[in-house]
Amino acid sequence: MNDERLRDAFAELRRMETERVPPLRWPAPRRRALPRFAVAGIVLLLGTLTAVPLLRHRTPPTQSITTWRAPTDFLLETPGRELLKGTAP
Amino acid sequence: MQKEELEREVAGLHAASFGWALSCCRRDRTEAEEVLQDVYVKILEGKARFDGRSSLKTWLFAVIRRTAAARGRRRMLHDLLLAKWARQQEPPVIDPPEHSDVAAILLDALQKLAMRQRQVLELVFYHDLTIEQASAALNMSIGSARVHYQRGKKQLLARLDGRIDR
Repeated sequence: MNDERLRDAFAELRRMETERVPPLRWPAPRRRALPRFAVAGIVLLLGTLTAVPLLRHRTPPTQSITTWRAPTDFLLETPGRELLKGTAP
Repeated sequence: MQKEELEREVAGLHAASFGWALSCCRRDRTEAEEVLQDVYVKILEGKARFDGRSSLKTWLFAVIRRTAAARGRRRMLHDLLLAKWARQQEPPVIDPPEHSDVAAILLDALQKLAMRQRQVLELVFYHDLTIEQASAALNMSIGSARVHYQRGKKQLLARLDGRIDR
């Protein structure tokens, strides 16, 4: 086996494979799809519109500082504290 | 190059392109036709542009190789997702009636080579490209292409020795 016989073998393979080549069909031009960045923008916008109302519901209502009481306020209610509120007789 | 001229030149290379697409698709004719259609769409839509840095044939073959590889990756991922991996692992069956004895023996020996070696040898012997053109089509250095060519040819000749007599 040498290069020349190898070339002959390849030539035979090429002849057999290319004698049944399907005809060339130029594909019809496709409708231009939306650019990727436009698709990404639309997805981002839809995501934002969906997420914002959901996040709003999760936020607890804020209290005014004048009505707010700390949860540990009861610790300040010590026994005999009322004696300290008034003046001594 | 004008679009009409490019289309005419590409049409003239259709048979050779199909042969190369067959090689890139492990001789699966249906897949090769799909790959060629994808390539022609890329050319028509301007996604693949010939810049004249190499010959048209070299450029076209590179586009075909990349397109076939991308389709292969997509199909592999698709098969993985559908859990068909094990079934799809079987190598494609080469239909014996399509080839003569010599061609069948050659194909059998080629399939046993490493992919890069097989591709370089096919580009040189089947498509009459030089090793330099083959390296451009395969996006590898000419030094690597030479090594693949030498090693592949040595193995191929050894595998064919005594099997093809003329």
